[in-house]
Amino acid sequence: MKWITARRRHPLAGYVVVLLALAVFGVGYALVAPSADRAEAQVMAAAQTGAEPAGGETVDIAQGRDIWERSCASCHGLNGAGSDNAPDITGAGGAAVDFQVSTGRMPSSNPDAQMPRKEPAWDREEIDNLIAYYEQEIGQGAGPAVPEEPPGDEPVRSDYEDEDAYEEAKASYDEAYDAYINGASDTQAGMQLYLANCAHCHSWSGAGGGLTGGHWAPQITDATPRQLYEAMLTGPGQMPVFTEGTVTPDDKQELISYVKTLQAEPNAGGIFDLNRVGQVAEGFIAWTVGLTLIIACAIWITAKQRAHD
Amino acid sequence: MSTTTQAPKALRGVGNWIDDRFHLAKTGEKNLRKVFPNHWSFMLGEIALYSFIILLVTGVFLTLWFNPSMAHTTYEGSYQRLNGVEMSEAYASTLRIDFDVRGGFLVRQIHHWAALIFVASLVVHMLRVFFTGAFRKPREINWLIGVGIFTLAMLEGLFGYSLPDDLPSGMGVRILQGVMLSLPVIGTYVSMFLFGGEFPGEDIIPRLYMLHILLIPGILLALIVAHFMILWHQKHTQYPGTGRSEKKVVGTPMFPGFAIKAGGFFFFVFAVIVALSAFVQINPIHLFGPFTPTAITSGLQPDWYMGFMEGSLRIFPNWLDFQIFGYAVPIGVLVPGLVIPGLIFGGLAAWPFLEQWITGDKRAHNVADRPRNAPVRTAVGVAGVVFYGILWLAGANDILSHTFSISLYWTTYFFRVAAIAGPIIGFIVAKRICLGLQRRDRETLEHGYESGTIQQLPSGEFIEVHKESSQETVHVLESKAAVDRIDDEAIASVEESESDGVEAPAARGLKGKLRAKLAHWYTKDNVSFEGVEAHTGHHLHHGAGHEEHEEMAGSH
Repeated sequence: MKWITARRRHPLAGYVVVLLALAVFGVGYALVAPSADRAEAQVMAAAQTGAEPAGGETVDIAQGRDIWERSCASCHGLNGAGSDNAPDITGAGGAAVDFQVSTGRMPSSNPDAQMPRKEPAWDREEIDNLIAYYEQEIGQGAGPAVPEEPPGDEPVRSDYEDEDAYEEAKASYDEAYDAYINGASDTQAGMQLYLANCAHCHSWSGAGGGLTGGHWAPQITDATPRQLYEAMLTGPGQMPVFTEGTVTPDDKQELISYVKTLQAEPNAGGIFDLNRVGQVAEGFIAWTVGLTLIIACAIWITAKQRAHD
Repeated sequence: MSTTTQAPKALRGVGNWIDDRFHLAKTGEKNLRKVFPNHWSFMLGEIALYSFIILLVTGVFLTLWFNPSMAHTTYEGSYQRLNGVEMSEAYASTLRIDFDVRGGFLVRQIHHWAALIFVASLVVHMLRVFFTGAFRKPREINWLIGVGIFTLAMLEGLFGYSLPDDLPSGMGVRILQGVMLSLPVIGTYVSMFLFGGEFPGEDIIPRLYMLHILLIPGILLALIVAHFMILWHQKHTQYPGTGRSEKKVVGTPMFPGFAIKAGGFFFFVFAVIVALSAFVQINPIHLFGPFTPTAITSGLQPDWYMGFMEGSLRIFPNWLDFQIFGYAVPIGVLVPGLVIPGLIFGGLAAWPFLEQWITGDKRAHNVADRPRNAPVRTAVGVAGVVFYGILWLAGANDILSHTFSISLYWTTYFFRVAAIAGPIIGFIVAKRICLGLQRRDRETLEHGYESGTIQQLPSGEFIEVHKESSQETVHVLESKAAVDRIDDEAIASVEESESDGVEAPAARGLKGKLRAKLAHWYTKDNVSFEGVEAHTGHHLHHGAGHEEHEEMAGSH
């Protein structure tokens, strides 16, 4: 206490108290507030069955049915015809199922709200089983199927029994990824398609943006080429559908290549890219860092001893 | 003896040679000894000057390589990703500055960061001048020049932003064209004249280039020189304090003290701007890609100083648009795009004259007001800052919506209400704070400061010992005029005139009555310092005496 008593009238004491209070509230809020991650964790814990180790080549329709009945049918119905709080997905196609489930948007924890991207509830093999069940029993060939050419999820170490198998899968994935991205060579076409059709919601950098009616266009930089392709094919949420007729598979490849190449582009202008938010972030930094530092210097060089009172 | 202070012979020879011809020694000595008040807020304008110099130098560098042409070309250069892409010469040459000219990328970023800092420092400088009343006679002309510099700086920034012909440039120019088109009758003509035909045409970039590197900087430079010459002639204002009066300036002489500080400060400003440019990417035109009329993107804004106009366009409702004889009058663009900025800048320009008219104060002022001692002015300023700030935030509503997961519509509804309620709340709060500070000042002046020492009196009562404030503090507090209300006489004369038919000359007519009412409103709440003398308060009867004063103040 003596330590505090001696310092509580220090000129900086007020600032220290404010900083401490902010820290307490900030940390406290972060601890108390329900985070999306924890909600997901609960969903996942409920959904996880004893997952089979990966490596099996054959499709396990029975497991797909199991997942469907346990995690999808409660809203979409046993036959996929939908209910009051979920749409009919009999005509959605395997591509839609793959997009919704592999981006973690389905199963949804709140059918009334737009779902953010999160970790998928199942691993790749289980999702494939679910799609196989969907295609066989519910979709029966209606709607677009999962596009095989654009590379999907990157291999995950935990799906493989040993390091070598993982390394091998990773190498072949990278090869396929590079082949697909570099297979597109017409930057102009990809750029024009993206800036004319996509950027007005997802923004020039793919960082996403606000939409009307409480919706938003999600950030697309985490999406795999296959997910981007599926989104164009199926038009999830507010997004329009870009069929193979309106944007041909080759054009889709150009477009996806444009997004991924731009994303991988290093920041030539400096190590801080301000998340490529653009002018709002730049103005914020100009005031809070630039001008603030300069004014602090002005205060410093004109400072004089203060009278004590 | 004198050898110690004399310059070396060679230098003296040259000096005498020059002095014999130009007689510089006398004026030189006078000007070198010119006194500058020592306060950080007097350095704010210098930030603007220094960043302007940086802008000029880097701008000249950029003109060496920039090609202001909208001719089509196919990019073949060091930036692999865009090889083979069709674009304008302007965009291609900007890419060349970034990737092929040595140091070009850094200089372009310095130019852009310096522009952001330049306008920001203009704003804080102007706020300092406003809140301390430094615009009052004799400095009204310099205030007007300052408002002109601010307006031109914004235009200059907007045009510079439009030159590289990248995606955000084109979108900015498109908004500019939209605002022009909203002008009734002449809108289309103005647009066709500026663009040399339909948007975007082939002429706009060469024309903006001329405006950006020649016309506007030329005018800016002339205005800045005039601003400085007038400042030099009239001298700085200064804050009240010991030895400072309307006639005497206290501070550091120009040479050597202030020159060294100012020189060092230039390098600090330069260092901060270069450090930002080296480490923080700004306006990455190579990532945006070239502008085509079909391209459009979310999440792009103008630079911060145009943000308030963007915001006013975004939140202004569209239900006031109407048609007359088949011609559309788009109020939803015309008002937020031209009328609101016009009111902001017009209000800034008019304020010194308005205040002078209201208060009837025609005296010259060289001692700055403490903001609390002019509570209505301070409150008006705060209301203006809040209004501007709300519009500015509204210009980023999509970024705010996306970053903080707020519904976009709700940001619009919120900003619409806040743009009206915010300034009112700001006005009331700022004025109350000023009056509270005035009361505390009177308290401190009468009783000294609270020492933190608690003493027990023989009667058992505890008091806190007050100690006398320093001379400096007393002088600062005493700078407030004893009574600066101008209500009683003026109002009385208006009322008399109604009963006796005798009018005071100043209060005649509608205008006179309005003036009297405004003057009353402007000063009615001021805390009276009448009869207050330093350290004469009765410490022991502190409570009772204080309340009496409070009563008197309230009854006015």
